[in-house]
Parts: sequence; C-alpha cells; structure tokens
Amino acid sequence: MTDQVTTPRPAPAGIRSRIDATDIARIAVFAALTAVLGLPGGFAVFGSVPITAQTLGVMLAGAVLGAWRGALAMLVFLALVALGLPLLAGGHGGLAVFVGPTAGYLLGWVVGAFVVGAIVHAGGRRLTWLRTSVGVLVGGILIVYAVGVPVSALVLRLPLGPTALGSAVFLPGDLIKAAITVVVTMTLVRAYPRALRARPSVRA
Amino acid sequence: MTASLVFDDVSVRLGDRLALDSVSLVLDRQRTAVIGANGSGKSTFARVLGGLVAPSGGSVSVFGVDPVRQASAVRRLVGFVFSNPDAQIIMPTVAEDAAFSLRSERLPRAESAERVRLALAEFGLTELADRAAHDLSGGQKQLLALVGAVIRRPQLLIADEPTAFLDARNSRLIADHLLAPTDRSLVLVTHDLDLAQRCDVAVLFEDGRMIGHGDPADIVARYESSLSC
Amino acid sequence: MLTLYRPGTGWLHRAPAGPKALALLVIVLAVSLMPSTWLAAAVGAGVAVACYLVPRIGLAELGRQIVAVRWIIVVTFGFQVIFLPLESATANTVRVVAAIVIAALLVLTTRVGDLLDAFELGLGGFRRFGLDPARVALVLAVAITTVPVLARIAVGVRESQRARGARAGIRSFVIPFLVVSLKHADDLGDALTARGVA
Repeated sequence: MTDQVTTPRPAPAGIRSRIDATDIARIAVFAALTAVLGLPGGFAVFGSVPITAQTLGVMLAGAVLGAWRGALAMLVFLALVALGLPLLAGGHGGLAVFVGPTAGYLLGWVVGAFVVGAIVHAGGRRLTWLRTSVGVLVGGILIVYAVGVPVSALVLRLPLGPTALGSAVFLPGDLIKAAITVVVTMTLVRAYPRALRARPSVRA
Repeated sequence: MTASLVFDDVSVRLGDRLALDSVSLVLDRQRTAVIGANGSGKSTFARVLGGLVAPSGGSVSVFGVDPVRQASAVRRLVGFVFSNPDAQIIMPTVAEDAAFSLRSERLPRAESAERVRLALAEFGLTELADRAAHDLSGGQKQLLALVGAVIRRPQLLIADEPTAFLDARNSRLIADHLLAPTDRSLVLVTHDLDLAQRCDVAVLFEDGRMIGHGDPADIVARYESSLSC
Repeated sequence: MLTLYRPGTGWLHRAPAGPKALALLVIVLAVSLMPSTWLAAAVGAGVAVACYLVPRIGLAELGRQIVAVRWIIVVTFGFQVIFLPLESATANTVRVVAAIVIAALLVLTTRVGDLLDAFELGLGGFRRFGLDPARVALVLAVAITTVPVLARIAVGVRESQRARGARAGIRSFVIPFLVVSLKHADDLGDALTARGVA
C-alpha cells in the first residue's frame, strides 16, 4: 500500500501542506483517546455512574488541538469505526452505525470538535475560562445535538419532539463532561503548555 | 576517511535554557557513546544530529549534509532509535511496521518485501512477522524499532537510551545488536556505563557543554569520579 | 483485542476488500431504507440470515453478532415502543439490527490492513482536491496502533492513582492520562519524522 509509485505533484495549498508528522501523531492520538474513553469501565466520573465518556474526547480534541486538527481527529476516529473497529462505547463499529439512530451524533462530533476549537482558540493566543466554557458548551453540546437529534428522528421515523426529549437524558452527563473539559483544558495550559501551541516548537 | 560528523560551535536554546552550549566536536566513522547526567544535553546532541532539533547557532554536518536545510537527505542517511518501545511502532503488524520505513524509498513491492524479510530474520523476528506489533514484549518491540531504523540502510544509527525501558536480559540483546560490527556509524546515548565502555570512543556532557571526548574507559572513569565527589 | 476479524478461507474472505465493501454497503443501505412494516421486517431478517448462510459464515456467528448488539436492541425497541405502534417499533428494530449485522460481515471477513489499502485506493479520486491518500491511510494506521497503547496507559495511570489511595477523578486521572497521551503523541511525531515522514 505504501510502495505504489506516485507521480510527483505540486504540494496543494490545502490542509495537507500544514499537516506534518507531529500533527499526524496528535490527530491519531486524539482519535485513539476518543476510542479509549469508550472502552468498558474506561472511565466513570461519579462513583459508578456509567456515562460514556466519548464526547469528552470530542470536546478535548477541539479544545486542545484547535478547530481543524480537532475535527480531523474526529474524522479519523469515525473512519476507524467505519473500518469496523469496535470503538464506539459498548464495542460497536462498522458501517452500520452510520445508518443507525446515532449516526447524526457521530457527524455532530466532527462539526462539534471544529466549533469547540474555533471558539476556544478564537483570535487570541491565551485561553480564557470564559471562552473555553462557551466553546465547549456551544460546540460540544449544542452543535452535537443540533446535528444528532434530527438525524435520529429521521432514522427512527419518529417526530422531532419525542426524539429531542429522549436525547435529553444524556444532557446532564454532557454538562458534566463539558465542565471536565473546561477544567482539564485550563489545567493543561499549565501542566503541559506545549500541548496548546498551534505549532509545537523543538523539544528538549 | 574524512570526518563524518562535525559540530562547529553549536548551541541550542530551548525556552530560556541553553540545552547545548557552544559544542564543537568531530567524530569519525565509529561507535560513539554519549554519556552524562539527565539534562546534560546528550539527548539534545543526538536530536540535533538526527535533524529533529534545529540548532540556534553554529553549524552541523552529517556526512557533509546539513540536517536542517537538507532534511530529507539527512533522513536517508540517519536511522534513529528512541527509548520508548511503544512510541516507535507506527503500523499494526510487525511486517507492516518494518515496511513502513521503506515507503519513502518507493521500492517495488517485491523488493520491499524481501528487505523486510531479511531485516526481520537478522533480528530474529521472522516468526512474529504477522503478529500485532503491540502484542510483542518490550524487548521484541525495541528489536522492531531497530529493524525500522536499519532497514533503510542508514550510514549513521543514533540510539537515544535504547535500553532505558528494558530489563537486563533485553538490554543486553539490544546492545549486542547495536554494537555488532557493521559499516555504519553509531551514536549511542546511554546511562549504561558498561555499554559506553564497549564503544570505540566516548563523549561526556555536563550542563549543555561537552567536557570530555576520547577513550571510553578514560571518559567513563572521569564521569564516575565526578559522581563520587 | 482490536480486531473483529475471524480468519477463514471462504469466498467472502477471499473477495477483494473494495468491491466487498461496496456490495455490503449497498445491501445495508437497501435494508435501512425499507418501510416500517411486518413484511419489511421479515425481509430484513431474511436478508441478514442469507448474508450469513450463503458465504457459509454460519448462523452461530450471526447469533454472536446479535448477542453483541443486545443493548442496542433493548434500547431501540424499548424507546420506540413507547412512541410507536408495535409493528413500527419491531420493524425499525429489526431493520437497525439487520443493517448492523450485515455491515459486520465486512470486518469479520477482511483484515484491517486490506481494508486500509482499499480505503486508500478509494480515496485516490480526491487527490485533485489536495488530499494525499497515503497520508490519510497513515493517520488511520497510526491511530489503530495507538488505541491499545493508550488503553494500557489508562490502566497504568489508574493503577498508580489507586496505589496512592486517590479516587478516580479529574485531577488524579483525566489530567495525568491526557498529559501522558500528549507526551506519547510527541514521541510518536519524532518517530514518524525519523522514519521519513515529512
């Protein structure tokens, strides 16, 4: 797969030219992180309440990697799922999940991670508690539901209202995850500042 | 033989710290041990040599190639082995991971497969070719990392504490492979002073400066005496 | 741990990954688009059974796949039956489960490596938009390789936090886990660079 001869081509001005080895590693690691957060018993926040922590990965990917890389990490995660790896919470995977009732949420993760990153890293270099909170709430929850609920209604052939109502059971868990993401991101600024730099500089 | 590796007044600034401070050094085609305390600059030295860190000042030459400006040329000349066995595995299975190093050479499939077969055989991994790379033991993973580095037939192999994560038995196995006589040069960053003594020449770092260069026995003795006082 | 592949020598195993994926995708889509009626449910279930019987994968495997998605069945049906008539709820559940088990055939009979190759080949058409298929395949491969590593790191972090008597929480688990993961990403970036990825 790697040794096919390709004709030399000019480096496109698109995303590719900005994605280097470090980006590849980070995108892959956040895709893997999102997968690990879905493993059974991977993570329980309050005692033994089994909330799936995968949306935590969505929010963290956007907040830490920024809009483009965060969205790419989610795309990579979904590609792995599509390839049939049992990475969704509960050990699900394969193309089927993209025609199932939760397909919209998966798509929402990509858009959501992008929006989280765009808001959290908007303009300035320094992260603020306010902007991080807004970004995580809007991108990580609002956007994800806005994409997820209509698709869910479509697949299940249910009206929007009851579907939205049904989805609301996940809201408390998502709010907890949003709070965790904000705390973690702001702590990471101090614990591993290199993580949040757009272009990691040389290392010791 | 002309000098193969040349450091001329090289400094590296990382944040507000000088990780390398005006290092000048000439190394020939040989096996070089690099020793010193944590944070002494030996790892940075290796990373500059391998083109992973750009010097803030001075010039570096690896077989006449500038590792920063001629990055892809230096990639072909240099193989790198790191300490953490897990962070060096790129592809899911052993054979695929070994083949990964050859992808930039764009070899025909058959030739690539043959080089993989030979390299796996050399390091005793033939039986494991189709196994998931992450099911290997730490020692086997590090052997695989070594395969990934030497399969490109580099003229220089840099190993940055390659035995740090391994037990004694696997450390010896990796060391024996690294130090086996070949026609490539070796730069071996290590805390293992016995290992350093098995090299042809040793370099001692302290606080970012190179403070010794010469016979491994002498350099190791100097380092040990600095530890005891 | 990380593969659903079941070794085998049947024709579905030997079929090239790309066409196999496309064919299964078409079947899955066809099943997914069926109406919510008893008849459609029967047809969906029949197609799923046929998909396992014809290539001689066997009903035992089909059973295993259905057991694997038992919670989806419970949740989907349980939620639907509140809002919809029994016929629609049953048909919708059967449809979703049939789609899932048919799609599962792809990974049951195809190695991940072959799927990646097919994926890379399929992306070739996007090259004109500046997408490098080889690079995309690389990111996917690295991610696949990284999942078990991070899972192990997570266990390690949890054990060390337990050893110190700390309870699972943000500061004692999430942050250390994330920091180690990011460090791993940086090491991986170095390894990629050293092995010729620009």
